[in-house]
Amino acid sequence: MIENGFNRRDFLKVLGWGGTAVALSGCGNTSIENGKETVVSYVEPTDYQIPSIGVYYNSTCAQCDAGCNIEGRVREGRVLKLEGNPASSINRGKMCGLGQAGVQAHYNPDRVTEPLLRAGTTTENITWEKALATINDKLNGLKGEEIAFLTGGVSGHVKVLLKNYLDVLGSKNHYAYEAVSPAVVRASNKKAYGVEMPRLHLDKAKVIVSFGADFLGAWVSPVHFSQQYAQFRKGNRPEGRGVLVQIESKMTLTGANADRWIPIRPGTEGILAMGIINALGVGVPADVAAAARDYTTDRVSKDTGVSAEQILGLTELLKARSPSLVLAGSAAEGYSHGSQNAAAIALLNQVLGNVGKTMDAPANVQFAQLTPTTGNSLALNDLNDVMAMGKLKVLFSYGVNPVYTAPDCLKLKDNLNKVPFKVALAHYLDETAMEADLVLPLDSALEDWGSSVPEYMPEPQLSIQQPLMENLYPNTRGVGDILLALLKQRHADQYKAYEDFYSYLRGAFVQNKAALGGAGADDDAFWNETLGKAMVKLPGTAGSLSGKPTVAGLSLPATKASEGAYPLRLIPSVSPSQRDGRHANLSWLQESPDPLTTVVWDSWVEIHPKTAAKLGIVEGDIVEVTSLSGSIKSQAYLFPGIHPDAVSMPLGYGHEAMGRYAKGTGANVFKILDPLFDKETGELAINETNVRISKTGKRVVIVKEEGPNGGSQLGRPKIAVKVSSDKVDLSKEV
Amino acid sequence: MSVSNLLENWSKFRHTHPVGDKGHPDWEAYPSEIKWAMSIDLDACTGCNACSVACYAENNLPVVGKEKYSHGQAMHWMRIERYWDEDKREVPNQGAQFLPMLCQQCEAAPCETVCPVGATNHTEDGLNSQIYNRCIGSRYCSANCPYKVRYFNWYDYPTTENVWPAPMEQQLNPDLTVRGKGVMEKCTFCKQRTYTARNNAKTEGRKIHDGDVQTACQQACPTNAISFGNLFDPESRVAKQWEQQQVELIKEEQEKDVKPGNNLRGYRIFEELRPYPSVMYLERVRESDV
Repeated sequence: MIENGFNRRDFLKVLGWGGTAVALSGCGNTSIENGKETVVSYVEPTDYQIPSIGVYYNSTCAQCDAGCNIEGRVREGRVLKLEGNPASSINRGKMCGLGQAGVQAHYNPDRVTEPLLRAGTTTENITWEKALATINDKLNGLKGEEIAFLTGGVSGHVKVLLKNYLDVLGSKNHYAYEAVSPAVVRASNKKAYGVEMPRLHLDKAKVIVSFGADFLGAWVSPVHFSQQYAQFRKGNRPEGRGVLVQIESKMTLTGANADRWIPIRPGTEGILAMGIINALGVGVPADVAAAARDYTTDRVSKDTGVSAEQILGLTELLKARSPSLVLAGSAAEGYSHGSQNAAAIALLNQVLGNVGKTMDAPANVQFAQLTPTTGNSLALNDLNDVMAMGKLKVLFSYGVNPVYTAPDCLKLKDNLNKVPFKVALAHYLDETAMEADLVLPLDSALEDWGSSVPEYMPEPQLSIQQPLMENLYPNTRGVGDILLALLKQRHADQYKAYEDFYSYLRGAFVQNKAALGGAGADDDAFWNETLGKAMVKLPGTAGSLSGKPTVAGLSLPATKASEGAYPLRLIPSVSPSQRDGRHANLSWLQESPDPLTTVVWDSWVEIHPKTAAKLGIVEGDIVEVTSLSGSIKSQAYLFPGIHPDAVSMPLGYGHEAMGRYAKGTGANVFKILDPLFDKETGELAINETNVRISKTGKRVVIVKEEGPNGGSQLGRPKIAVKVSSDKVDLSKEV
Repeated sequence: MSVSNLLENWSKFRHTHPVGDKGHPDWEAYPSEIKWAMSIDLDACTGCNACSVACYAENNLPVVGKEKYSHGQAMHWMRIERYWDEDKREVPNQGAQFLPMLCQQCEAAPCETVCPVGATNHTEDGLNSQIYNRCIGSRYCSANCPYKVRYFNWYDYPTTENVWPAPMEQQLNPDLTVRGKGVMEKCTFCKQRTYTARNNAKTEGRKIHDGDVQTACQQACPTNAISFGNLFDPESRVAKQWEQQQVELIKEEQEKDVKPGNNLRGYRIFEELRPYPSVMYLERVRESDV
């Protein structure tokens, strides 16, 4: 080309029309000079930016609290796809659909892009200077107890800055709220084992009995557990192929993969656990045996609806195949006696001698200031009470959407309006941001800096989240930068060394490099290497679990007969992709069928065909689900994987705001939950609401993946084939 | 290109076709050293949908929305089918059965023979390719596909509202096209990835090694249920699996299935129709004595 007289510089200039600049400016440029300020010259190319070559940068997934380590594929300055980081001990190169949809959260068309100030009914875009000054004004003269932060689970250096800021304000009001969290199980684990979240070894168990723990779908760290599960299912490990028994009232993704799925009357999980302890007979400590004495197989069978044959069969299986692993999950904990259920299940696990074999203690991590503050739903109740009393003057919210996730009966929206100044740090104009007086637009997780320590990790580690591309919008900011700016308002001198959150984060890592495995290394070299991996090992000491079963305080209520006006139990389900609704505006997830019902783009009411027949309901009937606290409407889906006394609806749908894909899609189950709480922890008892179902007379065709024949293979011999384990030899498979 | 030209030069347009089994003299003459194939372990598959989302991200699949979905116009190249046992039990007490369904890349593909313009094509590495700019949208291929894994662009999705609203189009993978209205599309076994891997190997003057290329679905799968590779490379995991399960490519009935009492779980869907699919499934296993 040079020989031909084609000007090389011009050629490169044309080549340089790559990346963000081109994509933003489109094809509207009429001359080469148009938009020249955005031309990237590749005469001196940015490191690792080669046109048409994708480069991978490591970071950390922020889509849920599992904190998987990821790598983002970046080409011409744009991030295209997220993949798992093979070096991670959490997800080992794998990734779930929710995590992969992180790119859609980043490129989402409905992100908030400018700081917004609401005054009365008007909303205006303001500058960051004005936004921060407004916050400063509003905070001036306030006492610490009049200021509060409502966040989701936080960890890492954002947690540190948040704590510093609250200290500066003299406030102790940090409410960590998660609408869907294993908070009851955490508390029960703490009592039974001495730690909130023991490390599990599914891959070492011969039998897993899971009381509603959806570890393959939406529980704690699903991608990590899925990998363990794959090992558990292999025939060529010393323990042989594992057997999974799932006990729950509504089939979860994990239940759908069980060797035996046992539908249980809602809320009686603890009784079944005690029944199994009683049936075990030998090897049970005397005090436990005494406590379990009343749980005879006949009584337990009557209470739980599980046949005596099945209880004894399960007991035999657990006796014959050890070690096993018994798990309590969200289905068992969402009752007013949820703590008791979880305690009984933990007791069974201890009696079986699994502690130390298939379950052990997480390491004690140094740097407690970085370890996660996990969220629960009690925090929202507490905050709600404080707001109702009119004590709060300024409320910050970050990473939560309580106006959407709080049940109507809490009257959260009314109480929120008693707070004169509400600041929402938000990605979308969701329900909570719509109520806020000041909305601060956040960087996406792919634009922001951060560090995090996941709650569940096989080995102690500190993960780094780093920008995978330049900001899409000039006026969004990272949460760390916002906190730093707010801190500088108060203590400019202490933070003046840090121009931004990046320099703070770098400073924090470099300062501590000796403890993070970089002793003696050059600062830059250490930091670059750390960034390259986007994770460092944290020093920790081995922890220990308490294996001693204790029966003190254990009492399981007899099952209530269902009440006349509200005869069915409502079990809100946590779907692997929708979770608590924070990602409802990601179109891939809306179009990704629910694994079990295959429904897309809407919510549904799961009813057992027997119950539906009694009520005269057929698929697609729009039914009204009414509880004491309210009612919602949705389409009925006849589903065999649910106890006939229960109905189920997925959480996460039915947004009134947030964005084009979320708004108006489905119905919000959170709204109609009754104010019933776990007696010990105060957590919302999410499965305790009773409802009645009535037909509205309307009917729709359900939009779903499965065909008109439902899940039938129409007698075809070889489509999805299942084989009994005695018919195959898995031990020598590749 | 005229139809007469096409018919006269059929072999040119349809590069290769099945030529026999291993051991058959023609096998050695197979024009390529590569035959891409897959195996999917249904026992490991949990039905989580991670593969399907990965496919959307990798292959620029449009999100069609509720209404078009209800018309059967979803564009999921990789979809999870969910089946229940048909034993008239009141509750499915052995769970559900999940089946990831994608183009089976048949060696004797029913879709290829019916294309009036030679747009459905067999490549030398054993894929059914779709030549978008040759496709006239007759949809014969889709009608003839027993697996229903071909997807037609009924709309011009790039200009359809809320499919890729700005700035979502920035996520699109530049390694492959965004298909326009009136064109059939389907799973390509991540053609852009196999192509890059082949080029890299060629540059380095070596053959493709197992692990050089992962499909997007395989890469995402949390339980490693999917393996993908070169069936002609005896060292590849997929070849070992096919060998061990005694599943042979050019067979409409496997010898092991004729003999009773084998304890192997490899099978192919609709094998009896003679499409010679390149995807082997491994039966889901459920414990017999609980």
